[in-house]
Amino acid sequence: MRTSRLMGWLLVAYGCAVLAFLYLPLVSVGLASISKARYLTFPIRRYAYDWYGEALASDTVRDLLLVSLKVAGIVTVLSMVIGFLGALAFARYSWRFRKAYQKLILLPIFFPQTVLGLALLMWFNTVGIIPSWKTAVVAHLVWIAPIATLVISIRAYSFDPALEEAARDMGATTWDTLREVTIPLLMPGVISAGLFAFLLSWGNFPLSLFTTGADSTLPEWLYAKMVSGYSPLVPTVGILTVGTSAVLLALGLTAALIFKRARAARNA
Amino acid sequence: MGDQPILRINALTKRFNEFTALHGIDLNVRDGEFLAIVGPSGSGKTTLIRLLVGMDEPTEGAIWLRDSRIDAVPANKRPTCMVFQSLALFPHRSVGQNIEFPLKLRKVAPATRKARALELLELLRLPASYYDKRIDECSGGEKQRVALARALAFDPEILFFDEPLSALDYRLRKTLEKELKDLHRRTGKTFIYITHSLEEAMVMSDRIAIMKAGRFEQIAPAAEIYARPRSRFVAEFMGEVNLFDMVDGRVPGLRFGPRASNLFVGQTGTLVVRPESVALLAPGEEADVALEGIIESEYLLGSRVQYTVAREGAAPVTVEVLRENAVGGPGAPVVMGFGTSACHLIAPEARDAAA
Repeated sequence: MRTSRLMGWLLVAYGCAVLAFLYLPLVSVGLASISKARYLTFPIRRYAYDWYGEALASDTVRDLLLVSLKVAGIVTVLSMVIGFLGALAFARYSWRFRKAYQKLILLPIFFPQTVLGLALLMWFNTVGIIPSWKTAVVAHLVWIAPIATLVISIRAYSFDPALEEAARDMGATTWDTLREVTIPLLMPGVISAGLFAFLLSWGNFPLSLFTTGADSTLPEWLYAKMVSGYSPLVPTVGILTVGTSAVLLALGLTAALIFKRARAARNA
Repeated sequence: MGDQPILRINALTKRFNEFTALHGIDLNVRDGEFLAIVGPSGSGKTTLIRLLVGMDEPTEGAIWLRDSRIDAVPANKRPTCMVFQSLALFPHRSVGQNIEFPLKLRKVAPATRKARALELLELLRLPASYYDKRIDECSGGEKQRVALARALAFDPEILFFDEPLSALDYRLRKTLEKELKDLHRRTGKTFIYITHSLEEAMVMSDRIAIMKAGRFEQIAPAAEIYARPRSRFVAEFMGEVNLFDMVDGRVPGLRFGPRASNLFVGQTGTLVVRPESVALLAPGEEADVALEGIIESEYLLGSRVQYTVAREGAAPVTVEVLRENAVGGPGAPVVMGFGTSACHLIAPEARDAAA
């Protein structure tokens, strides 16, 4: 299909508008973080970069980072493991309740997270578990592990079941098959699932709000400070949060690239 | 070839819920034999091969490999190996790593492994430079050879094939059929080859086992199955054929000469005559069996011509003659004939019997 000149310009304008809507707010947070004023005002009259120094030196911010990293890190690792095994059950093996399982696994994703958070909090109380960052890990997993499972399942669907049968036929034990065939072939899916898991946990607010108890993650703290006690430290920490995600994403993509290169080199 | 069978199947039955895929079949395979198992889809051949390699367990019956019973032995403990329909080459491993896979599982030293892989590449007529090639850089025929090399690296007692050539184009298939036959001769291994293509089976195998609905219809060398099919199904499966129902030594529309009358006296069954055995008779020419009709259509088959001849009140007859013996086109009346030596009579009770 050929587009006319005018149509082409309209498309470019539309694309720019979408990008502006998506990213300008982020830029404004960035600007707010370097404002000298104690209040959230626009336009910014005087700039200052002290808040970054303060944020990095602050014990509160360090604790927040630590809690958020702990939660996201553990959620990532567990999601990859659960997602890997879950995807095998989802996409590779036929078993009696597979159909039901494939539907049930979607349920937590369709639940509004606030409701899910509340439900989990009530459950923890009933069972007598005191909420902390550890319960938040469980809450995040309820929502994120199914997503990781689906991400890995896409990969699992695309590989020929005969590959595993062939390995077995040539004398491979279950463990050999897993190590030599299944894991290497699903690895790209597992890595993307891990990245998803980290980012979703790192930025999660509703589940954390209900289930962290006395601990606090970065998004929770940002919200609390917005409601009362604003200072430019808030947008500063916000930008640091985004920066961490970005760095992690870059690391993840690099790792995937290195993995691919290494394989190519091994085979070349 | 040894006298003792390398593989014995005894009353093997496989049921999936209500459906019976195999009905207590028996089979003996000689050491070093090339056996083709042929049948239409749904005949049970894939079920059978899955039981033979150990990817499924039989419901009843036994499988013996020489002196040991193996039907309950899992696939990874059996000294047999299969070349899959999809070939199942590992896309994340190089050609060399694919071939070495079974050796790696046995913890063979890397240097020994590589030497063996290079030997096998040579045996399969692939250049040594392919050792480091990626699987997705290989053509269809090359992948085929890599899969074979990998199976041979396993050094199985019996090599199974599950229609590995079905996805290839005609010319490549023909080349590989010959190579496979040649490889069988050179390695001296027992090959069991599953296919739905009779042509493939005839080119390569020592014996053909024809399957239908979970039973063997006939197990014999190709020439024998072609000339003396045990049932209507086999006769029709083996290509174009004319079948005539005979009751008490007579077939309506067929004129028997003295030799045919004597031969068929009192017989009942199905008379099998291949199209190439039927001749077009010149005026005054005699044949043991004669019949007439009007040419309905004509097809050119390279050096031969095939006619469908319509007959009054009976099924049309297929005739195949050399091009130089061709007669007029559609609408021409013809007299056809064939000798008793070209006839094979299927007894009625044998029609549905299993081998």
